Amino acid sequence: MMKPIRVLIAKPGLDGHDRGALIIAQALRDHGMEVIYTGLRQSAIQIARAAVQEDVDVIGLSSLSGAHKSLFPKVMTALKEQGADDIPVIGGGVIPAEDIPFLEEAGVAKIFTSGSPTKDIAVFIEKLVRKETLEPPKKIAHIGIAVKSIEDALPFYQNSLGLPLKGVEEVETEQVRVAFLKIGETMLELLEPLQDTSPIHTFLEKRGEGIHHIAFEVEDIEERLAQYKSQGIRLIHEEPKTGAHDSQIAFLHPKAANGVLVELCQPKE
Amino acid sequence: MTEHPEYNTAKKAWESDVEKTTDRFPERKDQFQTSSELEIDRLYTPEVADERYINELGFPGQYPYTRGIQPTMYRSRYWTMRQYAGFGSAEETNERFRYLLEQGQTGLSVAFDLPTQIGYDSDDPMADGEVGKVGVAIDSLKDMEQLFDQIPLDRVSTSMTINAPASILLAMYIAVGEKQGVAADKLTGTIQNDILKEYIARGTYIYPPKPSMRLITDIFAYCQEHAPKFNTISISGYHIREAGSTAVQEVAFTLANGMAYVDAAIEAGLEVDQFAPRLAFFFNAHNQFFEEAAKFRAARRMWAKIMKEHYGATNPKSCKLRFHTQTGGSTLTAQQPDNNIVRVTLQALAAVMGGTQSLHTNSRDEALALPTEESARIALRTQQIIANESGVADTIDPLGGSYYVESLTDQIEKEAKAYMERIQEIGGAVQAVEEGFMQREIHKSAYDAQKKLESKEEVVVGLNEYQIEEDIHQDLLRVDEALEKSQIEKTVQVRDERDQEAVERCLRGLRQAAKGSDNVMPHIVEAVKAYATVGEIANVLREEFGEYTGM
Repeated sequence: MMKPIRVLIAKPGLDGHDRGALIIAQALRDHGMEVIYTGLRQSAIQIARAAVQEDVDVIGLSSLSGAHKSLFPKVMTALKEQGADDIPVIGGGVIPAEDIPFLEEAGVAKIFTSGSPTKDIAVFIEKLVRKETLEPPKKIAHIGIAVKSIEDALPFYQNSLGLPLKGVEEVETEQVRVAFLKIGETMLELLEPLQDTSPIHTFLEKRGEGIHHIAFEVEDIEERLAQYKSQGIRLIHEEPKTGAHDSQIAFLHPKAANGVLVELCQPKE
Repeated sequence: MTEHPEYNTAKKAWESDVEKTTDRFPERKDQFQTSSELEIDRLYTPEVADERYINELGFPGQYPYTRGIQPTMYRSRYWTMRQYAGFGSAEETNERFRYLLEQGQTGLSVAFDLPTQIGYDSDDPMADGEVGKVGVAIDSLKDMEQLFDQIPLDRVSTSMTINAPASILLAMYIAVGEKQGVAADKLTGTIQNDILKEYIARGTYIYPPKPSMRLITDIFAYCQEHAPKFNTISISGYHIREAGSTAVQEVAFTLANGMAYVDAAIEAGLEVDQFAPRLAFFFNAHNQFFEEAAKFRAARRMWAKIMKEHYGATNPKSCKLRFHTQTGGSTLTAQQPDNNIVRVTLQALAAVMGGTQSLHTNSRDEALALPTEESARIALRTQQIIANESGVADTIDPLGGSYYVESLTDQIEKEAKAYMERIQEIGGAVQAVEEGFMQREIHKSAYDAQKKLESKEEVVVGLNEYQIEEDIHQDLLRVDEALEKSQIEKTVQVRDERDQEAVERCLRGLRQAAKGSDNVMPHIVEAVKAYATVGEIANVLREEFGEYTGM
């Protein structure tokens, strides 16, 4: 069980509108986070101190008075002075879109303007806070190509193209036989169904031979799946399973990636 | 069924009031007609008026005022079109005011910046970044003189959205009038001066509730004598609604606050029928058209009954709930902002159907920034179109008698009354505010509303349905960041040039009054005339009264 994310919701300056701040605070609590609300009229230094004392993971600033361009950067400076500039800051309120680049330049991680669903904010915070362990995928692990027969396909890839064959193996969980061919930093994976119940068999029946999926190499596959799930991304596998070379793999639904079947693949250490 | 015996008496009383009123304010036309030349009557009543009609509805300008507080309503004069404006420096705001007056606006409404509203001068560290942002920056009488330059105070009425330092800004207004040769008893206008809703919803409080209530009753007493035509308070549901309350909560909490002010004034030794006619109200108008119209009618009836039955008021003016309306800022969307013009039209129409005395229509871009001149003009034109083109102002209370609207009016009264009884059980509005009762109730409603939006149980066009890809809005009004510096320089110069000894003498006098029980208002008037600043005066009171630090 991960410890809950702690959030400081703060109202810098003299603005008295806190309907939004209070709603965000409650929504994040309902999302399982621990939220501290500073109350109105906090100076930048008060906010920075509260963030340190409360040991929060993220700070949310709210301003509807038009003073954000002066107040938000001041909070960033105060955090630096407190040695707490590693705490990410997000902001919201009545903030014109053209001010956003300036605020991001000043170090604010993200501005949520009027009308942002609270769920998006919660998901963003989760991503922001868990980011130390969640790097974006580093490279394309392989591109999967469905074939009726590996033996029939190999001559083109191996001989005509001249790609080196790295090995052939059976993956029981998917009822397929696979051949890996190295191409630069990545691989091509030829997939041949072993039985009629194999997903590759179904694919071949429906679409014929062709590109079947793209696999991204990732770390922390379990946490990543949990995060994607909380963001409402459609998954085929909510838990990873064992793939070729004893790697941990899971598929996302093609609907999640604009019609592309995406495999997450964490190589065996 | 037969006619209720009192019907004819009540009708005669109304007719005689109509005569008196039309002598002073003739109706706009000799004859009102539809496009098909059908004659429009002044008032439509049931074929057979029963006891309920006499007791709960009655005639316009007659107790309990459900159908309106004036005998002829908009047949004589339209509501006052009063657009809230103010930004940057006093000079810039003065220009916008004169522009709005030229465009046919009939009253002024001043927005102050946050430092002014919380009693800080522009050079106070707390004011950093906020000077001139949400309204005009006023530090000393000098700024106020510029704000009303070439605006004759005997001919316009001015509403000032100022609460915790209301006494200071009112004193400045009186001083500017004096310089123009307009005596205080000729000044008309309103100060918001409603501190309870600041604790509940709006946040620009300075002092704790008890001394704040004393400042308010000091103003009541001072104005009763010196500025009898000035509305000394505008008891505001507007911000309660903006903070997320329901229509019922808006009525209930506003009237409960109203009772707290009446109680405080009576306790301070004032006579109900002396000060109650100067109490004004300020409500919101949201999108649910019939509920909003019914809300205004219910509030009027409730206040009349409270004043007559609970406080024993005998002056009819004490029982008339006069109110200003502003359309609902929180209903506007940053997405597809032109759609907001339509929302504002619906809301403004509901306010007119509800019999408002004055109206501010929001500008389409208020969810993005302060309104541009073009947006402010469209907002004013919206009211002018309703008044001049729709015909809704040609008969009194056109929704009266609708089964639905009358039922909504009754239900809002019933539900709001139940809330007010709970507040009385807690010990009145001041106590309920201190315990955070209203704040919690409003937050619950606000959170429920947000969840309904996110689940799309409630649809807001352009926000959670019917969205489009939009470009960045370029033509927003931006307050010049250099303003803060020049405003500070101006105030420093005022401090250099004034008679410092006179200032200190006035502030000492004020401190003495604040320590004791003397009315502080005469001292504040003297202090502003000596060019003591808003911050200096507010700080003396901070030292004597302490500061409120929130829940």
